[in-house]
Amino acid sequence: MNKSLFEIYKIFLIIGAQLLGGGYVIVPLLKKYLVEERKWISENELIDYFAMSQCIPGIIAGNIAICTGYKIRGITGAIAAISGIITSPFICIILLANILNEITEIEIIKNAFWGIRISVTVLIIITIKDIWKSSVNSVFTYILYLIILTALIFLPISPAIIIISAALIALIYGKVRSKNV
Amino acid sequence: MFKLYIMLFTEFSKIGLFAIGGGYAVLPFLYYLQSEYNWFSTDELTNMIAVSNITPGPIGINAATYTGYTTAGIAGALIATLSIVLIPFILTVLITKLFDKFENNKTMCAIFTGLRPAACALLSSIAIKLFYRAIFTDFKSLTEFQIDISSLILFIILILPFSFIKKNPLITILAGAIGGIIIKSF
Repeated sequence: MNKSLFEIYKIFLIIGAQLLGGGYVIVPLLKKYLVEERKWISENELIDYFAMSQCIPGIIAGNIAICTGYKIRGITGAIAAISGIITSPFICIILLANILNEITEIEIIKNAFWGIRISVTVLIIITIKDIWKSSVNSVFTYILYLIILTALIFLPISPAIIIISAALIALIYGKVRSKNV
Repeated sequence: MFKLYIMLFTEFSKIGLFAIGGGYAVLPFLYYLQSEYNWFSTDELTNMIAVSNITPGPIGINAATYTGYTTAGIAGALIATLSIVLIPFILTVLITKLFDKFENNKTMCAIFTGLRPAACALLSSIAIKLFYRAIFTDFKSLTEFQIDISSLILFIILILPFSFIKKNPLITILAGAIGGIIIKSF
C-alpha cells in the first residue's frame, strides 16, 4: 500500500474537477477511480466512509476524501486527498468570481445544468443499485433500510442523528443475537 | 487586513464545525454571514448558490472561496477555503483512526451492519428528493401537481443505457448537459 502522494493528489484532483451538481457525485466517482480501477479501497469501506462522513461536521465530499486519503496513506494521504479535492473548485471560483452575475444568466449554461441535475439523480440511483447487495442483505438490514428511508422522507431529521441511531440499533441487535446463539 | 483574515478564519471554521450533513446544511450559515457582515449581498449569495451548481465542488467550498476572494483577494480565498475544511479534517482523521483500530472487532462489525443500510437509505432519500424536484413541478398536494415531461424524458434517456453498460460518471454528466441543451432548445 505505498502510493505516492502525488498520485493520490492527482486522482483527487481529477475527482474534484468532476464534482458537478453537488458533492454527492463523489460516491460514484470514488467507486470508479478507487474501488474499480485502482482497488485502493473496497466497496464496503467506501460505504462505511460515506456513512461516517455524515456524522462528522463539515462538507461530506471533503470528509469522505479525508477518510479515503487517510486509509490509503495515513495523515499525509489525507492532506493530499483534501488538497486535490479543493484545487479545481478553488481555481474555478477565483476565475469566475468577477463575472459571477453574468454567468448565471446565460441560457445555454442554465439548460446544461438543468440536464446535469438529472444526471446526478441517475448516478445516485445507479450507485444505490451497486452497493445494495453488500448493504441490504438480510431481514434485519431490509427492515432497517425501510424504517430509515421512511424517516428521512417524512421527518426533518439530521442525517447525523439517523446514522448514529442506526449504529446503536445494529449494536443492540448484534448483542441480543449473539446472546441467543 | 489582518483582522479581516482572522474574521474569515473564525467564521468559516465555525461553518466547518457546525454544518453537519454537508451540502445545503451550509446555506443557513451563509445567510447568517450575509446579515452579520457586509461581505456580500443577498443577490450575490443567490448567484453564488447558482454558480456552485455550475462549477465543480461542494457548495460549502465554493462559497468559502468566493467570500474569501471578494473580501480579501487570493489570500482571503485560501484562508476561508482552508478554514472550512480544517476542523472536519482533524475530526475525520481521528475518527478514521479509531475505526481502523477496531476494524475486526465484533462490536464494530455489528455497527457496520447498521451503517450500511443507513447509508443506502440516505442515498435513496437524496435520489428521491432530487427526482421529485426535477420531475414534479408546481407540487401543491398529492393530486395537484404537474409532471415536467422534458425532465422525465431526459431521466429515462439517461437511466436506461447507463444502468447496464459499464458507466463512467463523467459521461453521464456530459450526456445530461448535452441532453439538457438539446431538449430545452425545442
